[in-house]
Amino acid sequence: MTPAAVEAVIAGLKAAGISVVCYLPDSLFKELYPALDADPDIRTIRVTNEGEGAAICGGVFLSGKRAALVMENSGLRAAIEPLARMGMGAGIPVVMLMSYRGDLGENNWWAVPHGMTMEPLLTAMRIPYRVVDDAAKAKQAIQDAVTWSYASYYHSAVAITGGLVR
Amino acid sequence: MSATAVSAKMHRFDCMRVLAPLLKDELVILSLGASVDEWYTAAPHMRAASLFQQQLGCVTPQAFGLAVGLPHRRIVSLDTDGGMMFNLGILATLANEQPKNLLVVVWDNECYQSIGGPPTHTAQGRVDIAKIAQGAGIAEAHTATTLDAFEALCRRGLVAEVPFVVVAKVSKESFRDVRRKHSDGREDKYIFVRHVEATEGIVVMGPSEHN
Repeated sequence: MTPAAVEAVIAGLKAAGISVVCYLPDSLFKELYPALDADPDIRTIRVTNEGEGAAICGGVFLSGKRAALVMENSGLRAAIEPLARMGMGAGIPVVMLMSYRGDLGENNWWAVPHGMTMEPLLTAMRIPYRVVDDAAKAKQAIQDAVTWSYASYYHSAVAITGGLVR
Repeated sequence: MSATAVSAKMHRFDCMRVLAPLLKDELVILSLGASVDEWYTAAPHMRAASLFQQQLGCVTPQAFGLAVGLPHRRIVSLDTDGGMMFNLGILATLANEQPKNLLVVVWDNECYQSIGGPPTHTAQGRVDIAKIAQGAGIAEAHTATTLDAFEALCRRGLVAEVPFVVVAKVSKESFRDVRRKHSDGREDKYIFVRHVEATEGIVVMGPSEHN
């Protein structure tokens, strides 16, 4: 991940009022996680799986603070069950920031399923999302996702791809 | 009346009636099943301060998220053996994060009661959730088998400045002579959020730009 992309993502999180980030680390966001850990304005919580991270984010929402779940897009599959129940059952939103593994340009066979499943799963869950491959658009995308989730009380997602994560 | 007469084990409802008077300003996240109606009957003064959540493995994570967001407020998670077994990882997360304001009660009835009672992994007597929690790094993880021990542990857990887990070994019976909760997950969320807003003086779900 480029330094400019890391800076843009963190700027977006802060502009959106995010003060808690739950994450399960991955390779495409490798440079983002230590930068989040080092940021004095953001509390990071390392989780054991993305479903747990989604639930913690839901709890943070109930407190009035704002949280984001940061992960590889394979984590979406792990988080679908709590996302469905929290979002559809109770209207508790989770904002997700994902690395887009398996997008065109992917050179790992094991990551191809991540790309094949991410957008159909988001669509099935009726989760609006934006795919970002330009650092200049990352900050606004994150702000827009948070704004939408706090109007709909439903989940939203930003997927980072292309040269930003390779 | 006491429900313990039908079983040698503690009854969850009796535990709730012990816990309820200890709570005043706390916020509670609780798990699915018969315990929902039991809790709203045992602790009517906590109605708006309690949020029923329907998913296995998410009750304690949500309670922890709430504890992170409101570090000055005591949060209580009323979880279950089935729910905790679904996501044991949260015990490791709590151990690493060391929240100073979180009491986790695990109602361990050794079965999935709400679907008729098939056994959970604790039913064979080998799996010990308190020991798993200790192994995960939660020093204050305990098992209660009597109401007196349960009350004493809850009293400690409500003032502890480390994560505190109480596994309550309770009978399989649910207490049916209780008033049913009529609200769904959305209404419950609004009731709970408005209570948080009123008691914290904050806005969680504010107005839209235009009406």
